[in-house]
Amino acid sequence: MNFKERMLTAMNHEEPDRVPVMGLIMDPATVTQVLGKNATNVVKLLDKPVVGRAVRKLLDSNRFWDRMYFKNFSGALESATRLGFDANWAIYAFMQVYKGETKEEGTALNDVFGRVWTMGTDDRGNLSVDYSQALCPTEAGWDRWVEEKSALFDQVIRNATSFHQKLVDAHGDEIMPIGYAAPGIFENSWQAIGFVDFTKLVYENPQFIKRVVEFQTNFYLRYLEGVMQSGVEIVLGGDDLGQKTGPLMRPDLIEKLYGESYRRVADLVHSYGRKFVFHSCGKIYQFLDRFVDWGFDGIITMEPTADMDLKRVREQVGHKLVLIGNLDVSHLLVKGTRGEVDAAVKKAIQDAARGGGYILSAAHSHPYVDATRLRWMVESAHEHGRYPIHSS
Amino acid sequence: MSDDPREKLKSCLLNLDKNGLLQAVQAVVAEANPEAAQDAVDALAEGLQIVGRRFQEGEWFLGELVYTGELAKEAMGQLSPLLKSSGAESKGTVVIGTVAGDLHDLGKNIFGNYAASAGFEIVDLGVGVAVEDFARAAREHQPVALGMSCLLTVCAGSVGKVIEELSRQGLREALKVIIGGAALTEEFAKDVGADAFAPDAVTGTDIIRAWSCE
Repeated sequence: MNFKERMLTAMNHEEPDRVPVMGLIMDPATVTQVLGKNATNVVKLLDKPVVGRAVRKLLDSNRFWDRMYFKNFSGALESATRLGFDANWAIYAFMQVYKGETKEEGTALNDVFGRVWTMGTDDRGNLSVDYSQALCPTEAGWDRWVEEKSALFDQVIRNATSFHQKLVDAHGDEIMPIGYAAPGIFENSWQAIGFVDFTKLVYENPQFIKRVVEFQTNFYLRYLEGVMQSGVEIVLGGDDLGQKTGPLMRPDLIEKLYGESYRRVADLVHSYGRKFVFHSCGKIYQFLDRFVDWGFDGIITMEPTADMDLKRVREQVGHKLVLIGNLDVSHLLVKGTRGEVDAAVKKAIQDAARGGGYILSAAHSHPYVDATRLRWMVESAHEHGRYPIHSS
Repeated sequence: MSDDPREKLKSCLLNLDKNGLLQAVQAVVAEANPEAAQDAVDALAEGLQIVGRRFQEGEWFLGELVYTGELAKEAMGQLSPLLKSSGAESKGTVVIGTVAGDLHDLGKNIFGNYAASAGFEIVDLGVGVAVEDFARAAREHQPVALGMSCLLTVCAGSVGKVIEELSRQGLREALKVIIGGAALTEEFAKDVGADAFAPDAVTGTDIIRAWSCE
């Protein structure tokens, strides 16, 4: 079987030749480690007077983000191919230089949805870009934002379509690029408003929240269509519904606010003959049955640090969902020993891979995830993941 | 609904009834009686403890925790001028902040709200707080506890650096250190020498409340 047949067989809950392995490589630090290319430190360049001005101008241009994201994920797909993965995700985002008043003026970006992202470097010098502020905490502010940015929403869809298309064209013969449509409807709803204000508005101005959800749903469906036009066969939808100890919001409330939206998402993806895999961090046992009900084909993440146990998830959902992920990125894939990585891979395969429907992967990614550990993970998967899977 | 003002406050809070809650608070404020205000604050604190229990038992979720915390904050804002004039006793100061490089503040803010409602004075240093700023605040405010939040794995190293700096400046013995956030674990807390790891804001408040009784 080739990588594509292996992935699609597992997605259909059938047993391929061996358990497929999917990469979540995205951080320049990992790409640099694998390909030996040095990433440019944009934040350091911003400190230089002349170069900094030029970089800020670049950061404000559509062309820059188009090229930067393609270059970054092209590197990620090449890295994943070299490490032996069958697939790797690809994420597109469009940013502008944030011109509001912040103490870090010039190092903050905003996306089209109304979030501020602050650029910085971690203590190893890696570039970090983190959600730091909501720009639309009120109904009037949100309405104004959406009106002002209406043309950009279409631009984002066009860019995402071409981004995925170029990656499929450039790498599709060697590895499966997994289209990642994120952030999702829930995150796009609350992150522009801020979680505290969003929560207040849910209880105090539900009609407004209904409008926000409707807007984000319609945008997301168009975005997904764009991603699917590129030829990707599996689409990931990123929308964190959980935090470390449980759901962010009452599952009944999520059903009421978003259930229909998620059903429309799954229906749309299926109408294109594609598979929809839902990414959610956190402890999300209480959503698993809903994911099945909403029509999702699979889930990815299952963070061990949020108490997500792969065996328990498989027992709860059976083969109604394809499971992807669960390998720890707090210790195991950062500084775990080869023995620890091997044991974790073996356990994951034992817990979830019988009958197909399991794709081995890290639970998440961050710059400290070590490429050598990723290679060990792939090698162990090749060793222990041959079907049929026997009890250990 | 009960006519007892304490029960009414608690019940409005637990029913997420903002209008009812603020009406009940207004009635207390109109009395201008510090004892009644203290009763009202105690009722809110009791209500939040019930919310916390429901959250820990998985019956309630972060959204409800946040919303009740905000309702209580608004109510406390109206009641606190009366309390200050009565000289009500604080359980001590708690300095909180999100470590350098990390800008997430939700967990920290919920903890701040709950701890304030439990009777602590909160000094919130905000997000992306440098090691030396935590140490400076510890020296300046002499807190009973210092809380650090960290969601990003790549920033977790800062937690240990703050504790080292507190020790280096001779400030560590005088306070307890509590840490929380998605990037941290109980084991990590032991490794860096923190006194406690809080998996959530409610547990964190329970921990510092227990410390204040020691």
